[in-house]
Amino acid sequence: MEGYFFIFTKGFFILSSILYLVFALIVVKQVTSMSKSVTDKFNPILVIFSYLHLGFSIFLTLTMFGL
Amino acid sequence: MNRSKDLDTIAPDDEIVVSKSIKEKKLEKKEIPIEETKPIINQDFDYSFHDILGHTKSPFSAFLVHPKVLTFSEQDEAEEIYLAARPHWINNLSWVILATLMLFVPIFFKYFSFLNFFPVQYQLSALLFWYIITFIYAFERFLSWYFNLFLVTNHRVVDIDFNNLLNKHFATANLNMIQDVSSSVRGVFGTFFNFGDVLIQTASEKNQINFERVPNPEKIIKLLKELRDLEEQKKGEQDNG
Repeated sequence: MEGYFFIFTKGFFILSSILYLVFALIVVKQVTSMSKSVTDKFNPILVIFSYLHLGFSIFLTLTMFGL
Repeated sequence: MNRSKDLDTIAPDDEIVVSKSIKEKKLEKKEIPIEETKPIINQDFDYSFHDILGHTKSPFSAFLVHPKVLTFSEQDEAEEIYLAARPHWINNLSWVILATLMLFVPIFFKYFSFLNFFPVQYQLSALLFWYIITFIYAFERFLSWYFNLFLVTNHRVVDIDFNNLLNKHFATANLNMIQDVSSSVRGVFGTFFNFGDVLIQTASEKNQINFERVPNPEKIIKLLKELRDLEEQKKGEQDNG
């Protein structure tokens, strides 16, 4: 019974992290689009942050698979 | 009167042609610098709008006067931004407090003994998930504020809005289409920090543009009034001649 519970939890974590990864990709796309729409001095920093966020999301997904 | 045959001697009735020196010729050849035509309605206004709006230096300011770096994709080549305004920074206080509190939430997890039932790697993964969600919440709210811009240019007013990262809203109205401008400062924070809404009624299809929670609404109204007057003056001059 306990084993099923952990399989279900792991499945939930993996699914959530994959969905989050898709969201992180959308964030990168949107930040790039926003930066093209309004150009300012700090836009490259915001784009870098969005890519860092994507990197962490990939790391998170891999971590979930490793559970 | 006999004309002199000597070519070096000039008779009194001969037309005197003084050959220009090389230096003078060089000076003539030099191109006269053409004054750069600034794309503004009135040259004098270039100076007076700083009197109305003042000066800002910080790029993160919610009230950027004559920003040099900032541009937008729909901007014309001859278009110059006089003012770029964002909602007053105090409006960010709620999400900053919430994001800070979210950072400390995992500290309270240790008081819930049932969570110890999960293996350590599950707990660490959940913790990582929580912090990444906290980050994206703060980042998204910051982006919504940062890219929520109200621009006043020498041709028009522009409202650029990004909602929830997925929706872009772009509204514009030419200065000569502005019919009426009004502002409202509400609440304790609005009065204390001097921010409010500026409502612009226009004769265009989209008949109103609302600048929400912008700092110094009275300065924006004054600027728009000046620009509208100049536009009308220019139109009158064109009609007359």
